[in-house]
Amino acid sequence: MMTAAIEARGLGKQYRRTWALRDCTLAIPEGHVVGLVGPNGAGKTTLLRLATGALTATRGTISVLGEPPAVSPAQLARVGFVAQDTPVYARMRVADHLRLGAWLNPGWDDELAQRRIAQVGLDPKQRAGSLSGGQRAQLALTLALAKRPVLLLLDEPVASLDPLARREFLRSLMEAVAEHGTSVVLSSHLVTDLERVCDYLVVLVASQVRIAGEVSELLASHHRLAGPRRGPGTLPAGQDVIEESHTDKQSTLLVRTDEPIHDPAWTVTPVSMEELVLAYMNPANDIPARRPRLGVAS
Amino acid sequence: MIRVTWLQFRAQAFTALAAMAAFAILLAATGPHLASLYAASGLSGCHVDSCQSLAGSFTAEVQSTYTALYVVSVGIILLAPAVIGLFWGAPLIARELETGTSDVAWNQSVTRRSWLAVKLTVGGLTAMAVTEGLSLMQAWWAAPFGRAVSDGAPQGPLSQGRFTELIFATHGITPLGYAAFAFALGVTAGALIRRTLPAMAVTLAVFIALQIAMPLWIRPHFAPADRTVIATAGGFEAGGATGPGGDTLTLVATSLPGQPEAWILSSGPVNAAGQPVSTTPAACDAPSIAGSPDFYGCLTSQGIREAIRYQPASRYWPFQWIETGLYLALALALAGYCFRWINRRRA
Repeated sequence: MMTAAIEARGLGKQYRRTWALRDCTLAIPEGHVVGLVGPNGAGKTTLLRLATGALTATRGTISVLGEPPAVSPAQLARVGFVAQDTPVYARMRVADHLRLGAWLNPGWDDELAQRRIAQVGLDPKQRAGSLSGGQRAQLALTLALAKRPVLLLLDEPVASLDPLARREFLRSLMEAVAEHGTSVVLSSHLVTDLERVCDYLVVLVASQVRIAGEVSELLASHHRLAGPRRGPGTLPAGQDVIEESHTDKQSTLLVRTDEPIHDPAWTVTPVSMEELVLAYMNPANDIPARRPRLGVAS
Repeated sequence: MIRVTWLQFRAQAFTALAAMAAFAILLAATGPHLASLYAASGLSGCHVDSCQSLAGSFTAEVQSTYTALYVVSVGIILLAPAVIGLFWGAPLIARELETGTSDVAWNQSVTRRSWLAVKLTVGGLTAMAVTEGLSLMQAWWAAPFGRAVSDGAPQGPLSQGRFTELIFATHGITPLGYAAFAFALGVTAGALIRRTLPAMAVTLAVFIALQIAMPLWIRPHFAPADRTVIATAGGFEAGGATGPGGDTLTLVATSLPGQPEAWILSSGPVNAAGQPVSTTPAACDAPSIAGSPDFYGCLTSQGIREAIRYQPASRYWPFQWIETGLYLALALALAGYCFRWINRRRA
């Protein structure tokens, strides 16, 4: 069995009376660029903060790369984290951030850090407080990448960036990830951010995994069917309706199936990742009881 | 981690160093003059009979020139721990949480415990060194005053025994304890409140409250006070107010004969039976003799003497150790709490 990047069992985090995450069970596999998608308040940030050890669970357990989060320097060295809003030390220079990284991480790759800083055009002498949002995000990413983690966690890293900086950030992230084979978990409430970069998707709604799987498989197993109006009960076994809409004469269904669709009454079109995610995020849609299989057998 | 701590701490450390340098220059510029005045006063090697008056004239002479500097220097040493607690202690954790940089600090290959251990050690030791450094510099500068007091100079702004509240708190080893405590207090308040400014306010309030409570209610009880009853004579601040029921009598002893450095906790007139006396006996109630030696002679003839509760001068160092130990223990307890807090990882 492969170790999971993140594995949670019955995980819950309570703040006073409210639960930020409740009874969350999931397994995110290693070796992917995983998009963790969900509406605001789904528990994405809480899950990632539990995974970095910034929070302790109220209930349940979480393990990261097979160990409790932040349990030892060695475990910390294997996990990189870029927090929401990509914080850096405003009063410290860019170069001082790299020195901090070099001094605190035994696996620090200074060549990588210097190269990245030069690539994204950061002046080592500049104070981090005067960087633009995009530059700051690049600095935070550099700090996380140059420690050469096995797993890189990013919490909505591009949420506050303009579209150009967003694209630039994701592009440089993908380059680095491809170069070193780093596993990545990237959270976002916007599917469009993730479409280009993720090969694995976890949709989290109200602490629950609605669907998880490799993007190519998900796209291959979901179809949009359009045809004369009919009830979903008339579909053959093995075709689960995720979303349906009807007019007087027509029905449009989003169907999950591993089998080809033979019924000539349907016009079958492929679904985009955005359509798929939105269908699963929509609380009005009752996802059929057959649980989507998790990426990792447990 | 030590290098990183230094990298992040150097601005504050340089500020402290600059302040210490300014303090040192101020004292070094005036210290030799003060020492020469003392040397010229004839106090060193004075004859037993003349010491007291020589000491008195020395303190009277320097009073006009050096009172302000003396008060300011004592004030700086008193405030230094508070300033350190506010500006080094309170932001240590709170600023990281406020700006989100705790996510940077605690996601390097260093556990939070190690991070906190190094931060607390470097910050705490620097705080102690700075405060004690200021205290030692001032002690060197003010040494002539101390000698004048042991030579028997009457109480005045520049001639207070080392056991009196403000001198006790700014000399010896107590500044070490205050600095460590104030720093740990700031860090703890920052961790609990998670915002720098409110944490600073709480740190200041708690520190000042304890610094007031300590000499008033805690330090006097480090050991049971000694009691003595002496004849009323000079060395008192006498007061009386005329009222319908006769004059009220107050007599406050400012020093204990033979023990100029004893710490007087309380004093007041008592009658022959040892009962406190609050009114001037009718026989002595004449405006003509009020405050004069005749007045004290009259009180003595009426059997009135002065009762004094005090801590003898010999307890100065034991008290210094007790108080410093107390503050250091509090600092360690707060640090221990911070470790528990950071281990619960509530950031």
